[in-house]
Amino acid sequence: MSWLRRLLGTFRPSKLHDDIDRELSFHLAERADQLRSEGASDAEATRRARKQFGNPVLQAERTRDVDIAHWVDAVLRNFRYAARAVARTPAFTATVLVTLAVGIGANTAVFSAIDAVILAPLPFPDGDRLVRVRQALEAETSIAPARLDDWHHLNSTFETLTGYYVEDVSDTTGTLPERVRRAVVAPHFLEVWGIAPALGRGFTEAEYRFAGSPAVLISDRYWRRRFGADPDVLGDVVRIERRSYSIVGVMPASFLFADRNVDLWWPYPADSPWVRNYAQNRELQWYTGIGRLKAGVTLDQARADLAVVQARLARDYPDTDAAIGVRIVPYKEVVIGAFRGSLWLLFGAVSVLLLIACTNIAALVLSRATQREHEVAVRFSLGASRAVVACHLLTETALLAFAGAAAGLLVAASASAAIVGLAPDLPRVHEIGISARILAYTMGSAVLVTLICGVFPAARSTRAASSLSRTGRTQVSTRHSLQWLLVGVQVALSVTLLAGAGLLLRSVEALSRVDPGFDPSRVLAFRLSGNWGETQDRDRLVRRIDVTLEELGALPGVESAATAWSLPGVPRQYQIEFELIEGRSDSEPPLVAEWRTVSPGYFNTLRIALVAGEVCRHPTDTRGTPEVMVNRSFADRYFRGRSVVGLHLNWEAASQTGRIVGVVSDARELGIDQDATPTVYACDSAPSPFPWFVVRTHGEPLASAGAIRLKLRELEPLRSVYDIAPLEERIGGAYAQNRLRTILLVLFAGTALSLACLGVYGTLSYVISLRRREVGLRLALGALRSDVIRQLVGQGVRVVGLAAICGLALSFAFTRVLSGMLYGVSPSDPVTLASALGIVLAVGSLAALIPAARATAVQPMRVLREE
Amino acid sequence: MTHQKNDILQGTLALLVLKTLASNRRMHGYAITTHVQRVSADLLRVEEGSLYPALHRMEQQGWLRSEWGVTEKNREARFYSLTARGRKQLAREEYSWARLTEGVSRVLRCV
Repeated sequence: MSWLRRLLGTFRPSKLHDDIDRELSFHLAERADQLRSEGASDAEATRRARKQFGNPVLQAERTRDVDIAHWVDAVLRNFRYAARAVARTPAFTATVLVTLAVGIGANTAVFSAIDAVILAPLPFPDGDRLVRVRQALEAETSIAPARLDDWHHLNSTFETLTGYYVEDVSDTTGTLPERVRRAVVAPHFLEVWGIAPALGRGFTEAEYRFAGSPAVLISDRYWRRRFGADPDVLGDVVRIERRSYSIVGVMPASFLFADRNVDLWWPYPADSPWVRNYAQNRELQWYTGIGRLKAGVTLDQARADLAVVQARLARDYPDTDAAIGVRIVPYKEVVIGAFRGSLWLLFGAVSVLLLIACTNIAALVLSRATQREHEVAVRFSLGASRAVVACHLLTETALLAFAGAAAGLLVAASASAAIVGLAPDLPRVHEIGISARILAYTMGSAVLVTLICGVFPAARSTRAASSLSRTGRTQVSTRHSLQWLLVGVQVALSVTLLAGAGLLLRSVEALSRVDPGFDPSRVLAFRLSGNWGETQDRDRLVRRIDVTLEELGALPGVESAATAWSLPGVPRQYQIEFELIEGRSDSEPPLVAEWRTVSPGYFNTLRIALVAGEVCRHPTDTRGTPEVMVNRSFADRYFRGRSVVGLHLNWEAASQTGRIVGVVSDARELGIDQDATPTVYACDSAPSPFPWFVVRTHGEPLASAGAIRLKLRELEPLRSVYDIAPLEERIGGAYAQNRLRTILLVLFAGTALSLACLGVYGTLSYVISLRRREVGLRLALGALRSDVIRQLVGQGVRVVGLAAICGLALSFAFTRVLSGMLYGVSPSDPVTLASALGIVLAVGSLAALIPAARATAVQPMRVLREE
Repeated sequence: MTHQKNDILQGTLALLVLKTLASNRRMHGYAITTHVQRVSADLLRVEEGSLYPALHRMEQQGWLRSEWGVTEKNREARFYSLTARGRKQLAREEYSWARLTEGVSRVLRCV
């Protein structure tokens, strides 16, 4: 075992080392003293003392090994013994390993996602100090550049405050225009993040100003794609539409902001002569603010601070700033968004799954321990202490748990890769992976599994088995209540998981049956690049989009075309309050409605029926009163049957006015899982420079995509078409998270159910195998086979039934967690819960029937002769 | 140092150490060797190489406890003393030793 000694030497504690050396040298010194007193010279005494003692280094080693190897040896011996024991029963071992690999693997995979997405700090230095800042008038909106500048200078809680907005522009550097996503950034942009470019430099003060040369930072992705990761890229030129920008730096690959599709960051010179007046306009909604809090500043302090700043601005600019509030959210919340709930839900589900796996294994180990009662009894009678035997049994479980965890880690590694494929929209998905933390987590679960699965059986089987004589005989009947309790726990937990999965399934199904109030079939959706600069000349922008719509509508194969600020049925909310110019009594509810901007052709294209009045016309010039449409919910809720056509609305603090010209039927614009809400449609074909185009085609929408692309290329050679997909797919994509969540939960519930069945089957098989003799005896004495089966199955079914009812009670608590994720089904939906109960009862009974039927198939005489 | 010394029989070292420590409150390893040698009138000699591993093993088993202290000569030494479990073990070993020697002597007498 010299290798072991050397191994131990590497972590040998030095204190022990010293102690032993001191102890032995004391001995030598005393011996030398004695020899001297007997008349030996100093040198002679030392020599003889050493000689008598033998090689002191070797003695020290031997003494030390007694100390250290004591427990290492015990552990190794236990592991050797456990490995032999485990290898003797390959079926048992394989079952446990597969169960654990699935249980720990699924758990680790989901935990790795939670760790990367929720727990790990954002990949920016002191990422927890980053916040998103927006202004709020009626709805939360972007901030006017001038106001952001004021906030930056007047606050006392932020290190830096900057802003950005994103636009899809056309990159004309190559031969074909290509859409690139560009973030337009306010001064101090890089300081907020605390991230330096991987190559080159950040923006200089001058580049944020008008006179400076136009500069961009490019993303790592863009750098690799466009420039083949050329290190000499600095100073090269990127052409965006008609202008050129020189590259000053490349951001690191980990810098994904504002979303992972942004490839360019560009400082907009807000003081340039052609936008100066525009940019000073305090009513503009331009930047989303991003701030870095000073160390130690809480969110509440920052909120209070900016509120004070804004109150001061309200005094300085009463016309524009009086009604404006400040909204601050941790940036991490913005990034994670709605995924937090889903991830924790899945984590809960896989933890329940692991718990089921543990109870399953505990039952198996327990059964096995009972089979080994004889062996344990022999070892007791040979003088082993209870602790030693329990340690042996526990080591076996630990060996299995760690092997299972290792296999689980492999499962988790491939599952993590699958998550990236399945949920590409998951924020921070590329940060998911197996790290040291995940490794520690997996090992931790292995230890936990050992404790849960092993301690109980080990303690129990070493308690009862005391005498050899008792175990020699086959028991006729025992209650095995612990085994059945474990089976019961599994059954109850699977009912719960199954109920949860069932509810989500029913939601998805209900969602597919819903009538959205518009017809998304045969509609192609896409966008055409543009930039916010075009909004300086509104008339030109509107003309451009109208021409495009007209040309598209004239294409063969196209029925009609329209634009919209956002797609129908894809969740996006923008609620504001309107005022009725004709007057409205105070007792009536305020006119709060969803605000959507669409072109007049929208209603026809999406088959949203006109109920009253007429479809709005285009604002041909900016002087006339704009025309708006409302939906039926708006008319019904706020005007109860009175005619609304011809009434006038004010919004955005009376800065805008519109005349209601028509009423359309309700459509589920906000997402197909949400009932239609009161909505006001502004008729404007150019709500943004890159609105969504929706085109109704005669045939398969994608079949017309080629013709549409060709037409657009001819009309707008400098613009690029992107995000082109059938509307149905877009809507489906918006619910991909639902679907993924449902699929995974169904998968987990299925696994849980199979494990529980395995538990019922295994436990009953085992109990019956102990009662073979009794069964044989009863059959020999003339008992009816069907009676015996009924009695045996009855035992299993009773447990399953009782546990299933407990599980049902548990479901009531658990499914409440789901309530925010359900659609068209209540958390306590009787049909779903009853089906879950029915499935578990049916499958559980079947699992009980098989071993019972097999047991009664034996020849009575053979069993009786066995002993 | 010329006369023949008996090496201690396998397994009796523990008995001797326990007995030695039972009659003396606490002792260091060197004192144990000299004590055994003296009391046995130089008939027994503790193999020094096996003493320390044995002492440590007995400590692991909870029969002994040890602590650092200073001898009269002002040297640092590790002192061992008997625990309650060690006392019980001593009783067991004394009993089995008595049985062994009685058995052996009966055989010697008879044959």
